[in-house]
Amino acid sequence: MSNSSLELKNVTRKFKDMVALDALNLEVGAGELVALLGPSGCGKTTALRIVAGLDRADEGQVILKGKDINALPAHKRNMGMVFQAYSLFPNMTAAENVAFGLQMRRVSKNKRRDKANELLELVGLPTHAHRFTHQLSGGQQQRVALARALAIQPEVLLLDEPLSALDAKVRTNLREEIRRLQLSLGTTTIFVTHDQEEAMAVSDRVAVMNKGHIEQIDSPDVLYNSPATDFVAGFVGSMNRLRATKTGSSLFVIGRTVGASKGGPNVEGEVVALVRHESVRVKPDATSDILIVTRSFLGPVSRITCKLPDGDLVHSMMSSAESSSLRPGDPVKIELLDKELLFQRAE
Amino acid sequence: MFARLKALPLAFVLLISGVYVLLPIGSAAEFSLRQPATQDHGFKNYLWIFEQPEFAHYVGVSFALAAVASIILLALLVPTVVWLNLKGQKLRPFVDFITLMPLVIPVVALAIGAQNSLPEFAQTNQFILSFLYAVLAMPYAYRTLDTGLKAIPLKTISEAARGLGANWTVTIFRVISPVIRGTVLSALFMSLALSFGEFTITSLLHWDTFTTWVTVISQQNVMGAIALSVFSLAAIFIFLLLVGLLVKPATSQVTKEEE
Repeated sequence: MSNSSLELKNVTRKFKDMVALDALNLEVGAGELVALLGPSGCGKTTALRIVAGLDRADEGQVILKGKDINALPAHKRNMGMVFQAYSLFPNMTAAENVAFGLQMRRVSKNKRRDKANELLELVGLPTHAHRFTHQLSGGQQQRVALARALAIQPEVLLLDEPLSALDAKVRTNLREEIRRLQLSLGTTTIFVTHDQEEAMAVSDRVAVMNKGHIEQIDSPDVLYNSPATDFVAGFVGSMNRLRATKTGSSLFVIGRTVGASKGGPNVEGEVVALVRHESVRVKPDATSDILIVTRSFLGPVSRITCKLPDGDLVHSMMSSAESSSLRPGDPVKIELLDKELLFQRAE
Repeated sequence: MFARLKALPLAFVLLISGVYVLLPIGSAAEFSLRQPATQDHGFKNYLWIFEQPEFAHYVGVSFALAAVASIILLALLVPTVVWLNLKGQKLRPFVDFITLMPLVIPVVALAIGAQNSLPEFAQTNQFILSFLYAVLAMPYAYRTLDTGLKAIPLKTISEAARGLGANWTVTIFRVISPVIRGTVLSALFMSLALSFGEFTITSLLHWDTFTTWVTVISQQNVMGAIALSVFSLAAIFIFLLLVGLLVKPATSQVTKEEE
């Protein structure tokens, strides 16, 4: 990417024997929001802390707008960071927290006050300027932290799981607000999360991390529909792993033949087919020996689990209206919506 | 009804503890108010305290020693505990062990050790007691500080400050110091109270402070000495109560979600 705002080149970080980052490469374009998604211990927070200057890379470079900033201390990097833990200064009001970074930049008192009020309004807390930390809810605290990070007009906004301590409803609202603000201000942003739904919902691109490196970085759609590796396929979305037989470019799975994805390994015979839950459709069929085990109502959709004659379980995600007549114990037939399936070597 | 039954064991424990702590104090207070000459109760013994010319002198000496001890102790412990909470997690067991030592080493050993090892000029200066008081108060002050600081997300807020452009000096003075002030004040008062009431080491090193003076005058006026002890106890109790009221915990509380 030629217009990259931030670039990580072969960044390696080791903690004793554990490799937290293994020659990580990442480019983030100007005004882009990239999510680092991965399980605990995959190195996503370490990468963010290295960008912020709160941790140092053992090897590699962090390049901001063409300049190597490896040697620059945290307080000279102009990065706005929102932490997972509540990080407001408890001895200051919301407005004083927001104005802190501006004070460090010797902005005049009046300008600081105006900017703090403007940002608090932007994050939906115009009447909370004089409240102290303990007078704010968790969601409000994170909004103030976001306003504080944005006040310094950061080169890159770094969000380290900022929503994970909040309850579900607040989390959804706030993530949408983060995206709205990020788009309107055009701030280059890295969003670290372990929640795939969150990553998919707010990002231009999602980098799926595993064991210190990026497995795949792509738009949420590409990542979901064309996972590049087994890990990505398993981590993003929910997959059925079904026994299948591959012959040439065909897969034989649950009694039917479908196409085999071209991106799969070069093997023949026994393989594991990967089928997304929403690609499985279940229909009543009195002659079938496939039985429904459970139906979980999830609002607009329901998850139906069926048992195949060989004992394997198949999960389906269907609209609740369409599946309302299905009951546990009912015999059903299974249809696959995909014409082509991803597959892996048999374990 | 059920809630009342559940509260019964707690009430019982509180009652026993209350009796255990308050009965001797109450008895001493009652005894200190007795006036044998007139066979009634009054404040004669307490008035006697303030008639003693040495009273103010020894309160002053003990307070000065305790103040110096507290300053030494906090100057040593505050940076140590802040550092432990920010970066030195691995050294915590070692520091825990070191700060427990004054509880394990008998005070007599500490006093005799100090007497034998300290240079002459130090032995002739009463403020040497402040250093020894600081050692004796260390286990309590350290734990007060550590518990208080553990409740504050010190690492996160210092990283937030640095990210916003504050260097380490500004971070320490503008962010960390105000946040830990309450905890430091608690440790300070704990150290003051412990140092003020120290007797053993002072007596063994043949110095005169408020506590040794109380012992001496108790041989002249038992009733007065008991009144003095009750008075000291009440003064410290009120002092600590004021600390409790003045020092607010600096923890990051979260109010109920309003969104």
